[in-house]
Amino acid sequence: MHPAPLLELDRVSIRHEGAPRSTPVDVSFAVARGEVVLLLGPSGCGKSTLTLALDGLVPHAVPAELDGTVRVAGLDSREHPVGVLSEHVAMVFQDPDAQIVTGTVLDEVCFAPENQQASVDEVLARAERALKLVGLWDRRRENPDRLSGGGRQRLAIACALAMAAPVLVLDEPTANLDPAGIDEVYAVLRELADERDHAVVLVEHNLDAAVDIVDRVIVLDAEGRLVIDGPARETFRERADELVALGVWLPVSTLAALRLRDAGVHLDPLPLTPAELGAALDALPVLPAPLSASSPVRSTALSPRPTLTWPGPVDPVTDASATRSAQAPAIRARGLSVRRGGRLGPVVVHEVDLDVASGDFLAIVGTNGAGKTSLLQSLAGVLPAPAGSVDVLGIDPARADARERARRIGFVFQNPEHQFIASTVGEELAQGLRLQGADDDAINTAVDRMLRRFGLDELREQHPFLLSGGQKRRLSVGTALIAGAPLLALDEPTFGQDRARASELLDMLRALNDEGTTVVVVTHDLQLVADYASHIAVLADGRLLGVGEAADVLAGPLIEQAGLRHPALARATRGLEHHPAWHSVTRMSQLPVTSGAGT
Amino acid sequence: MSAAPASAGAPAGSGDVPGDAGTGASVAVAVDPFAPRTRAGRGGFLAALNPLAKLAAPVPVMILVVFSRGIALPLAIAAFAMVVLLAGTRLPGRAVVALLLGAPAAALLLGVTFGIWVDPATVAGSAEASVALFSVGDWTFTLAAYLVGLATALRIVAILLLSLIAGVTSTGPDLVRAMVQNLRVPYRIGYTALAALRFVPRFGHELEIIRAAHRVRGTDAGRGPIASVRRLIGYAVPLLASAIRHAERVALAMDARAFGAHPTRTERHLSPWRARDTVFVAAFLVVSALIAWWALGWGR
Repeated sequence: MHPAPLLELDRVSIRHEGAPRSTPVDVSFAVARGEVVLLLGPSGCGKSTLTLALDGLVPHAVPAELDGTVRVAGLDSREHPVGVLSEHVAMVFQDPDAQIVTGTVLDEVCFAPENQQASVDEVLARAERALKLVGLWDRRRENPDRLSGGGRQRLAIACALAMAAPVLVLDEPTANLDPAGIDEVYAVLRELADERDHAVVLVEHNLDAAVDIVDRVIVLDAEGRLVIDGPARETFRERADELVALGVWLPVSTLAALRLRDAGVHLDPLPLTPAELGAALDALPVLPAPLSASSPVRSTALSPRPTLTWPGPVDPVTDASATRSAQAPAIRARGLSVRRGGRLGPVVVHEVDLDVASGDFLAIVGTNGAGKTSLLQSLAGVLPAPAGSVDVLGIDPARADARERARRIGFVFQNPEHQFIASTVGEELAQGLRLQGADDDAINTAVDRMLRRFGLDELREQHPFLLSGGQKRRLSVGTALIAGAPLLALDEPTFGQDRARASELLDMLRALNDEGTTVVVVTHDLQLVADYASHIAVLADGRLLGVGEAADVLAGPLIEQAGLRHPALARATRGLEHHPAWHSVTRMSQLPVTSGAGT
Repeated sequence: MSAAPASAGAPAGSGDVPGDAGTGASVAVAVDPFAPRTRAGRGGFLAALNPLAKLAAPVPVMILVVFSRGIALPLAIAAFAMVVLLAGTRLPGRAVVALLLGAPAAALLLGVTFGIWVDPATVAGSAEASVALFSVGDWTFTLAAYLVGLATALRIVAILLLSLIAGVTSTGPDLVRAMVQNLRVPYRIGYTALAALRFVPRFGHELEIIRAAHRVRGTDAGRGPIASVRRLIGYAVPLLASAIRHAERVALAMDARAFGAHPTRTERHLSPWRARDTVFVAAFLVVSALIAWWALGWGR
């Protein structure tokens, strides 16, 4: 028998106030108790908007126009306020910090049932059950600020569970978390999925984490129309090409299998997790030899189609390491220790010795609180380092004046808006040159060139805050580079962004790096690191565990020592019994290609 | 500089905040309206009172102190507030010492700094004006000037101590609960204000990042008031943009959790106004009035 659906959407279209068209459009589906539904689609297709409609925030709290009907436990969402609908649907949002409103973990979990006028005993009983499920009961008296990112997001899930609603809607719950936090959150979600007591609707880009707990996928296309609604594993396996064509991200293991299929290695069925990929590879008697880490084939988890880079005349990629070792380092740090918050603040970076050669693409990795950002900021002179401990292209960055520094180092903060200082895009770019004392003609030419380079030429007179997210990011990189800085430092450039935007940015960084710009990034997305970085520095507790070529670091023990997890591809290949040559395969570009590939 | 008495109410062990060490933990600690009650907040008769009583009693006295003159009244009130604090709370030993030594030391020291600003001509007539404490060149620091400075300093210390009566034993949420339950302040306003308080440390941290980001762009080059005003406007735009976005998200999250769905909400902690609260307020005001009457009669 079929239980009555908890959620029922009938031809739902939503148009945000001022938006030219509706996204999503004409979406109909129903969700029953016990289902775990993954909602997928390229960015801008209206997934998040759709989740807001599931508990009546659209149209009641968000200025948007709703067509069609959303029924929550049989109630028309248009006719019932959010307060009533929230008895049936609980929400978890992306940013854990924007969901916390009280001063202790216990008060936070009690907040919703108190609003629902449950009796005191009931409030406490629900709070205890929810906190025990997410593993925070022992920390109930603490201020939520003291929890880690993963802990705060688990708290947000507990808060949603305490509402005793049968439907749980999660909108990218792990986008702002580091890998450890993502694992914590998915451990909780897996438990919920196993209980089959709730219906779960999940929007998630990180499919590697999500794929083994969901049982149904709903896919929207770029227009916001529902194009696929089917069982998860079969959909990923049988319609993988279709999903890729839609601009939807697949699990890294599936992408890798698709790449291998193009190279003549057929894995059937397509693997969805690193374990499945590993098992499938091991089952094959023969595998073609993987490419070396420095092969000119370009392919990443973000853009898996292989492309070939042609060695340029200036910086031949293939023997770059030979020329690099001869060059003077771009960054040289010796015995670098950094305190946060002045002389008496805690030491967050301990005695780091680090050389970064010109032309490197260095990724600094580590868990939250390992001191990655502090290290990057002190290397770039944003945070003062002790005199003489850092040398960047001949200057001490913390003591040089802004002009000298801007000529050598471009620093890009996590949120591009923080760095904008002018009222037009053109002025924003010109400012860096004006600081150098360039004359107007020179400024104009350079600004024009930069606008073209980053595809912003139409937007010269636009206010920087009115750009789209990707444009803002490009502009912030442009402002960092316009004074001719040969070194670019970026703090968590992909944090909280969807994969399309992350891919755009990283491809841009790679292009700059190919032209000779030294790039240093702080990140905790290790598959990105594996695919893009030439070198990796691993930090733990403010100390540098080691630094080396990306392939060596990823193949060695440092990643685990730092409390990080190997990227998905490395996890699949490390355990291969029959193909030892594949143990060092950590990046998409190492997968074999047919001779015909490379378009 | 006179932070000693105030430190009694600050949370202990603020250094061990987990998470990214760079994310402004220090700022968060400086203004944390949700700071857990210190041990001091758990014992003593003050903790058992309604937070509103602890506010209603000292506030009229504070106003009286603001408009008082001379040394006797603020001194006597400060001593009274100190007695209430020490008797009504179980402060840890260090805080008691800080209170007993810090408050007088702060008053004496502040007296000098305020006294320096006193125009010698205004106190020239009195007997104390002829007692020189020390002199630098032509300028002499007289006892009369010091007494004027000391009176100001004592008023500040007395007000600080009075505010500690409310501050040491109740937290922000306690006060909001009491206002909602006893003063019929709508809970939507009370709890929204409380949620908004969480924004403060966040914005402090955000401002720090924005300043660093602008420094990197080289916008701190100019000097003088015009450049600094321009800088402030430059900080305000990104700060406001992110504040509005954050506020919208918090509002959605609160709506989604049924905030405001019903005219009332369950209160796990009742905060009734009991007879002892009335007694405390009345007794506090009567004793203060007696002190004032005695101090003014003796002081003039």
